Amino acid sequence: MSHQNYITGKHKYMNPYMAGIILGLVLLLSFYLTGRGLGASGAMKSVVVTTVNTASHENAANSHFYSKYISDGKNPMNSWLVFQVLGVLVGGFLSGALSGRLKLKTEHAPVITKKRRILMAIAGGALFGFGSQFGRGCTSGAALSGMATLSLAGFVTMIAIFGTAYLVAYFFRKNWI
Amino acid sequence: MEEEIIISGRLNEKVDPLLHIWGWEIAFYLFAGGLAAGLLFFASLSYLRGKENDYTATVKWAPLFAPILLVLGLGALFLDLHHKLYFWRLYTTIKLQSPMSWGAWTLMVITPLSIIWCATFIRDIYPNWDWKFKFLYQIENFFIKYRKVLAWVMVFYSAILGIYTGILLSAFNARPLWNTSILGPLFLASGLSAGAAVIVALTKNEIERKFFSRIDLIIIGVELFFIIHMFMGFLASTQVQIEAAQLFLGGSYTLPFWIFVVFIGMLVPALLEYLELKGQKIPVIIPVALILFGNVMLRFIIVYAGQASRYLY
Repeated sequence: MSHQNYITGKHKYMNPYMAGIILGLVLLLSFYLTGRGLGASGAMKSVVVTTVNTASHENAANSHFYSKYISDGKNPMNSWLVFQVLGVLVGGFLSGALSGRLKLKTEHAPVITKKRRILMAIAGGALFGFGSQFGRGCTSGAALSGMATLSLAGFVTMIAIFGTAYLVAYFFRKNWI
Repeated sequence: MEEEIIISGRLNEKVDPLLHIWGWEIAFYLFAGGLAAGLLFFASLSYLRGKENDYTATVKWAPLFAPILLVLGLGALFLDLHHKLYFWRLYTTIKLQSPMSWGAWTLMVITPLSIIWCATFIRDIYPNWDWKFKFLYQIENFFIKYRKVLAWVMVFYSAILGIYTGILLSAFNARPLWNTSILGPLFLASGLSAGAAVIVALTKNEIERKFFSRIDLIIIGVELFFIIHMFMGFLASTQVQIEAAQLFLGGSYTLPFWIFVVFIGMLVPALLEYLELKGQKIPVIIPVALILFGNVMLRFIIVYAGQASRYLY
């Protein structure tokens, strides 16, 4: 078997139900320690705002969307979500190290090419980026953290994200099976 | 009535409200000097322990970086000088009470020494190397004969260089964050850790890699000990030192220091190296890159935060 923990010799992936419970505890801990929930798209937004601001400060300051994040000399990178996503990267890396999965590779269905897999991922990511901004949050920020606080918007976001996925999955299934 | 004239450096520009005299040049030099010290220290120590042919990466390959790092570091220092053409005046005097004098003379010894050290091994590494002139071969033979002496001088001077990178800052009594004698050992430990990391990345010898991985783990432990004690010392001192420590304990340097230096630059690579030693398959270049990154960040953060720390007035 190519994926394994060479120290314990155990199986490669964690039990998903166990991982779910641990993620829930991480969310609880995040609320307890920082007073904020988890998020992902917010960090991406910070990167985009910083890039635009660096390329043209004038453009960013005049834009209704960008100016919110840079007013009063604020640095959008100095945000909890940016550091949290950095932590996600490090954590994912450590998890890969622990289970012997540190290899550069593209995982994809046998019927599609590597290139197609990457292009689809980028297209999907871009759509999700727009969606998360229209919906004021992504799976983590709006759905996960929102539902944890029993916010109605959180449940609606969750149903919308996964409901749409169920509806259109039929048309894209050839990329997976 | 007696007349009093008060002369204060505070009137100079770039002093108030926050000192901003030193920029990237100093931080980069401290990193380059520390790393070169680490590489030369392990090279000479391993040679003296008789490991010349076992630890070839340590003794012969890694020191090749040292002269380059030293020259780049000195170049950065030169850029930082205001009166560039007067740099040679450092070499017209020896002042034991001046850290700059110590540094200038230490570099004057160790830079040529590192070049000679590399030159005596160059034909081991590149067998086709030709010195072209007969007298160069004679000089080479001379130094090869006295390599042991070179190694003894280098092991001491590299340690001095490593400590001195910290002392350069801690001699500033007007900056409470720098004015702690623990910076010398901390920067030495950090430079040694970076040196060990570079050796781990270069070597193809399993025993050498494991040996220096273990050394690196120990040094990271020592570094953490120094950092904790640095803060304990500050917090047990006067309000001035307590406020200097607060820069890292809730102040503006808290996130960069604890996340980039301690977490990503020490704890994560230590964990990766530990797993690697236990047999997990991890590309060593990753912990090595993280350690070097942490090293650079430590220098930059201490240089910048030190200038933000000050006496109360």
